[in-house]
Amino acid sequence: MLELKKLDSGYDFLQVLWDVSLTVEDGEFIALIGPNGSGKSTTLRTIAGLIKPMSGDILFNGESIKNKPPHIISRMGISYVSEALNLFTDMSVQENLMLGAYAVKEKETQLNTLDYIYELFPRLKERKDQLAGTMSGGERKMLAIARGMMSNPTLMLVDEPSLGLQPNLTYDVFAALLKLVKQGVTILLVEQNVNATLDITDRAYILEQGKIVMSGLSRDMKANEHVRNAYLGI
Amino acid sequence: MNSTATYEEKGTAWGKFVSFLNKIGFSPLGFFLLIILALLPNFYPFSEEYIVRWLIMGAFLAAQAVAFDFTAGYINIVNFGFAALLGLGAYTSGIFANTTPFLLFAPGLNPWLTIWLGAIMAGLVGFVLGILTLRLRGIFAAVMAWFVGIALMGLVNNLTELTRGPLGMNPVKFIETPNNLPYFYIILAMMVMIYVVLKLVVGSNIGLAFKAIGQNPDAARASGINPTKYLVFNFTLSAFFAGLLGGFYAHFFGSLTPSTLMHTSKTVEVLAIAYIGGRGSLWGGVTIAFPFVFFIEFLRSNLSSLPGLHLVIYGVLMVTIMIYYPAGFSGFYFWTVAKVKTLIKKNK
Amino acid sequence: MTNETSAAPMTTVNFMTWVKDNLPVVVVSVFSIILFVLVGLKGGAPQVFNVLVTGGMWALLATGLALVFGVMNIPHFAHGESFMVGAYVAYFTFTPINKFFLTTGSKFLIYSGPILAIIAAGLAGCVLGIIIERIIFAPLRHRTKEGWVMNAFLLTVGLSFILVNGTTLTLGPNFRGIPRYFDVPSLEFMGAFIAVDRIVATVIALITIGSLWFFLRQTKTGRAIRAVSQDETGAQLVGIDLDFIQTLTFSLATGTAAISGASLLFMFQAYPTVGLTPLYFAWYVVMLVGLGNVAGAIVGGFIVALLQSATQLFIGLSWQSVVPTVVMILVLILAPSGIFGSEVKGVQEQ
Ligand SMILES: Nc1ncnc2c1ncn2[C@@H]1O[C@H](COP(=O)(O)OP(=O)(O)OP(=O)(O)O)[C@@H](O)[C@H]1O
Ligand SMILES: [Mg+2]
Repeated sequence: MLELKKLDSGYDFLQVLWDVSLTVEDGEFIALIGPNGSGKSTTLRTIAGLIKPMSGDILFNGESIKNKPPHIISRMGISYVSEALNLFTDMSVQENLMLGAYAVKEKETQLNTLDYIYELFPRLKERKDQLAGTMSGGERKMLAIARGMMSNPTLMLVDEPSLGLQPNLTYDVFAALLKLVKQGVTILLVEQNVNATLDITDRAYILEQGKIVMSGLSRDMKANEHVRNAYLGI
Repeated sequence: MNSTATYEEKGTAWGKFVSFLNKIGFSPLGFFLLIILALLPNFYPFSEEYIVRWLIMGAFLAAQAVAFDFTAGYINIVNFGFAALLGLGAYTSGIFANTTPFLLFAPGLNPWLTIWLGAIMAGLVGFVLGILTLRLRGIFAAVMAWFVGIALMGLVNNLTELTRGPLGMNPVKFIETPNNLPYFYIILAMMVMIYVVLKLVVGSNIGLAFKAIGQNPDAARASGINPTKYLVFNFTLSAFFAGLLGGFYAHFFGSLTPSTLMHTSKTVEVLAIAYIGGRGSLWGGVTIAFPFVFFIEFLRSNLSSLPGLHLVIYGVLMVTIMIYYPAGFSGFYFWTVAKVKTLIKKNK
Repeated sequence: MTNETSAAPMTTVNFMTWVKDNLPVVVVSVFSIILFVLVGLKGGAPQVFNVLVTGGMWALLATGLALVFGVMNIPHFAHGESFMVGAYVAYFTFTPINKFFLTTGSKFLIYSGPILAIIAAGLAGCVLGIIIERIIFAPLRHRTKEGWVMNAFLLTVGLSFILVNGTTLTLGPNFRGIPRYFDVPSLEFMGAFIAVDRIVATVIALITIGSLWFFLRQTKTGRAIRAVSQDETGAQLVGIDLDFIQTLTFSLATGTAAISGASLLFMFQAYPTVGLTPLYFAWYVVMLVGLGNVAGAIVGGFIVALLQSATQLFIGLSWQSVVPTVVMILVLILAPSGIFGSEVKGVQEQ
């Protein structure tokens, strides 16, 4: 479904990613793990089209998307839930969600997805008229994920959803992601919470200083010496 | 007139001279060009009265661009009331030098004295403007300065007992002389003085503080720079020189009206020159002002059927440069110098 | 019982803190009401209508400015020239059409002349907006990394210069005006006579603002415009085409400004620098209420018109450029980011 080929990327004169190659198959739940500043968010931003790669290629369903603008990539079915959330703070929860379905043509589909989202996140339904900017950190995170789902994406890129959440909320978020995967959505997840992430994902890539240093099945990773030392603190 | 060149022969007399020039903001090339400019009106065809007049206008515009760039190019605030401050200086000087009895106030002081009164007046308003715009961010500050400029113009229009309002007033001249040459040397001296003083300021620690504030006021504050002091100082000094130049205008042209002097479009003319010349160099505008005035005046005298064409050209040039070469002429100069230097290095 | 006794002081305390928290808004509201009463007493119905006409137009212009700033981060200094273009287009449409319609003698056609002229101006403004955005701002936007706000501002200054002087060059500096749009007797209103043109201009301003407001709040594209002004990246991520939205916004702003220029043709006439006064007051409004605040711009338009009327009535017409600045200085000392505040992305940037 998604394939990064020898991707170099970064900001202006600062190269962050070096020769990153990675594949995500249809329906997989993939983790991208690495220390702070290793370039995880940069990878996702590059896929989403917010920054242009310096070289290499990005294929989505066989088609190169590296020169496409972000809104086109989004309309092709890739939804990026960023670290910064990028919510529309002066709009209500419902308006944010409806904008998430901006590219969806049929009103019917929009409303169905909205109902489904409200079922999944009852908290959002309770607060549908509240301004996004006045929501709590955890609620905002949920809203961002929910908004990302509103376009019925086939691939979701989710950046550190558990950051700043209390454990039971983190659990809720992970549960929601798993549910999505069950429904056939492919997810590339960036997480600091390595232990839990390796429990729920199928495969994982490890990114250190902008390079992929390791990849494999998540359950094998948990047993790996390097991973245990560096990320699981065992 | 840049000061980036470094010279190895420090010990020699030539070397000492060059480092002195550098200190006051001139490169040997810049200084050479200045000497040529000063001698120019002594040679035909530049000795023609109308060309001397063009040179005067060039130097007047150049000096304004220097004072304008001191604010825009360093603390990154566009003083949109610049022309109004200049007009304030002109009117103040004109009024204090005035001998006409039918106006309310006619002290008849010497214009050589009153131009400084005009400068002080403008400086005072600049000081107030500095304090007013302090709490405002870039664009708010520019618009606030614009409002104050418009209010000043309204004031001059309304205080008819002092200024005769829109009818305009006729200040005495510096010297009664049929030829323009003395005026050329007056404005050239003013231009050089303003340039050297401002260059000394921006070359000192104050200049570093300006740049820091211009790039990011919050970061500057965090690193211990007090923006208040520097912003107000910058506005005051720039306005002071604008007022001084206004005094020159008053006693050179001998006629003042609010709309020909204080109108927003006058600020825009200066702004265009300063930006095409290159921001944050002080000298960029000077190099552009002279060719520009010549070009414009040439157009004006040959295409008098097309009023406003020169202003359209101003606008188009400015927009083109903003989009495609925002560094302006001085940026181009530094880029060329750097290119040439690397070429020389390679050949060695 | 106990509840009731304790409730009264509570509400006063709440009210006092509310007043304190919103001091600028309260001061301005009280001030505006007093002004309105004074203006109404001294000037009567004609002045009240004056406030409505000019207020509506300032609101319309200021809304355009606020939109352009909010969505594109451009402090638009050539907005007055959109007004100017609207005035010219209306003049050049209305004069021949009216002449022709007069020969037909049909009342309906004669009365539709002004409306056609105003619509033509609005359309011309929209097209001009698209052209300018595509030719000037789009290339700069794709090129600029930092200092966008200031560069864009200077660019609009240059643009204003080109438009004003280009107009002088092609059409000359002379005034082109019409005595009135509707050649009918004034309507009597509370004992005073109000020209039909004024009433129509007020209605047009209110309708345009109303439609704009509805468009921004209730339509998908309008919501997308607001989304871009709140979070550009977020907007892109949900599939909004920034280029399209920005061109649309600029086109809307130019079009609405042209509509105000056209509907005020009978008051302002058409000449190259006619845009300066509207620009000044539109900027005045957005500075007063906070840059990028669309709702505030609408309220602010009327407040500023009121201030103008009061200045004219109590101090003198020629002081109209001095008094507002003094008021502005006072307001900005009280509330540096405008009375309704403003949390727009670009304001923090240089
Ligand atoms: N907008 C930017 N401009 C310049 N450099 C940036 C920018 N954003 C990130 N960087 C740099 O790129 C590198 C990688 O950043 P990135 O955000 O991708 O890291 P990350 O792996 O997501 O880290 P974290 O776990 O802290 O989120 C860092 O060194 C960072 O400083
Ligand atoms: Mg990150």
